[in-house]
Amino acid sequence: MSTAPTRPSSDSTERPTSGTPRDSRLLVFLRKHGANILLISPFLALFAVFSIWPVFRSAYLSFTDYHATEAPVWIGLDNYVELFADERFYRALGNTVTYMLVVSLLAVVLGLVLALSFGTQKRWHQWIRIAFFLPSVAGGVGVISVWKWLANSEPYGLFNTIRSWFGLDPVRFLGDPAWAQPLLIALAVWTVMGYNLVIFVAGMRSIPGDLYEAAALDGASPVQRFFHITLPQLRPTLLYVLITGMIGSFQVFYEPYILFGTVDAIGGPLDSALMLVTYLFDHGFHQLNLGYASAVAWVLTTILFALTMINMRLGRANEGA
Amino acid sequence: MQALPNEKVGWGWTVARLPLLILVISVLLPYYWMAIGSFKTVPELVQQPPTFIVENPTLQNFHDPGFKEGENRPGHWAGVMQRQTDGKGFLHYYANSLVITLFVTALSLLAASLVAFVLTKRPFPGSRFLFYMLLASMMVPWEVTIIPNFIMVTDLGWIDSYKALMVPGLAKAFVVFYFRQMMLSIPNDLIDAATMDGAGTFRIWWSVVLPLTRPGLAAIGIPVAIAEWNNFLWPLLVINDSAHMTLPLMLGKLAGNLTYDPQSAGVLMAASMAVSLPAIAAFLVFQKQFIDGLTTGALKG
Repeated sequence: MSTAPTRPSSDSTERPTSGTPRDSRLLVFLRKHGANILLISPFLALFAVFSIWPVFRSAYLSFTDYHATEAPVWIGLDNYVELFADERFYRALGNTVTYMLVVSLLAVVLGLVLALSFGTQKRWHQWIRIAFFLPSVAGGVGVISVWKWLANSEPYGLFNTIRSWFGLDPVRFLGDPAWAQPLLIALAVWTVMGYNLVIFVAGMRSIPGDLYEAAALDGASPVQRFFHITLPQLRPTLLYVLITGMIGSFQVFYEPYILFGTVDAIGGPLDSALMLVTYLFDHGFHQLNLGYASAVAWVLTTILFALTMINMRLGRANEGA
Repeated sequence: MQALPNEKVGWGWTVARLPLLILVISVLLPYYWMAIGSFKTVPELVQQPPTFIVENPTLQNFHDPGFKEGENRPGHWAGVMQRQTDGKGFLHYYANSLVITLFVTALSLLAASLVAFVLTKRPFPGSRFLFYMLLASMMVPWEVTIIPNFIMVTDLGWIDSYKALMVPGLAKAFVVFYFRQMMLSIPNDLIDAATMDGAGTFRIWWSVVLPLTRPGLAAIGIPVAIAEWNNFLWPLLVINDSAHMTLPLMLGKLAGNLTYDPQSAGVLMAASMAVSLPAIAAFLVFQKQFIDGLTTGALKG
């Protein structure tokens, strides 16, 4: 990188004074911008190869029958037709939507409650916020593995031990279809509520203090102040957290894969933990049905896009009210 | 609910807050369980009821001196450090993860910063279009690109290589976008002055712009590094051999064993500890940078 030319130079061409009629437009362009474009060309090449080209290729593949061994065969809309007729797809869609709604709502409500409770600059409040933020920093496969151990079906699993304190019988958390979704939701809320807490605290701190003082002078109770000042002022932050939270939880993969994923049962017991991305993974990389999996990816993209649009529309409509 | 700083809060509200302390405990409990689990012996791990304070602390889960490869000795177990395939063990995976994380973070940040600089301060015909392409690519979810990229890497013959782990993630559009926002606030006079002094684009970027945007490097570098350190799906697709294995892959394997072998929990907890501890330690030292970095975008957008 350090050997890149440091000024627009044109070693290969003679250097006519600018404005000479002989100057072709291309030469002028190259002299002015050539070196700069050269500087960023490694990035541009990688960007084109691994970010832009794949979008077109994926769109094409979604209309083909492609199993990685032979060349893709154009089959028109067949993948999409098959997809929308597949019961398992609706299963995955339903699971994912439930998961997304419950997780993002719970995480926002808990984040708000926590921000109201532990939002001051007191030392112990700061430490509590740090504790809650921990999963955002030290999360990933390591911590999901720990949850797999917590949810162990034997009576010595921690969750079952806690159940026993209340006189409840041990549960097969990882083997019982009724428990797959609650377990995944608990894990996600556990991971993300501290992140929301920190963002809400920062958002609340940027609300002008005189708003509260004026309201207090007028005799507004703390509860009224929350609903009439904090919540409306926090709307952009709330909206951001909600949108990114929904987009993130819609694409959940690691958690169900680590907790339930074995080759024969990627969706967990009776597909109770089957999510859209695990469904995609199953078709794409277990069955190597890459055309079909591409179609799944595009359906997922469309849903995500619609979701974002609806959220933004809602946010704008509320603003006007 | 929304008290003023100098307002007296009733004791009722303080009591109402107590259940939330249970949440605080629940946030830390998995980490505690991981920490004590990694020092428990196998009998203690499956003891009922489980112990909350380790009774017979052991380092067996990390390294068991009594374990001999290929020999079945009751009560002895291959610790995390001894789980080897093809002579490659935990430390090798650790080094893989560390080098890949540092390399991808450093290079992707530098490249993105340079691109952002050229786009904002040295625009050329087409640079606006390029910027919109970068923006548009940020709206495409990774599920779309992962299949063609897998095919591409396979066609290039990069399966089971470091290239497959490093190269596809180097051009990060969102980092360019982040730096662009920062660079818009750098006064043009500063750049012009440097240009007058005869410095070229690269030189100005390296010695003027880069130092000016140093806080931004830390802020965006932390989430990039964490994502890279935790990256699981992509390595899962492109790595099958032991030589290029990363920590999350190894953890995924160990977690898979747990399904039919609960006794491997100690080793799994030890491995999780070893993977989480650097992140936790770094976080405790650089709290502010971590929080700022991971919440970037939430409050400016």
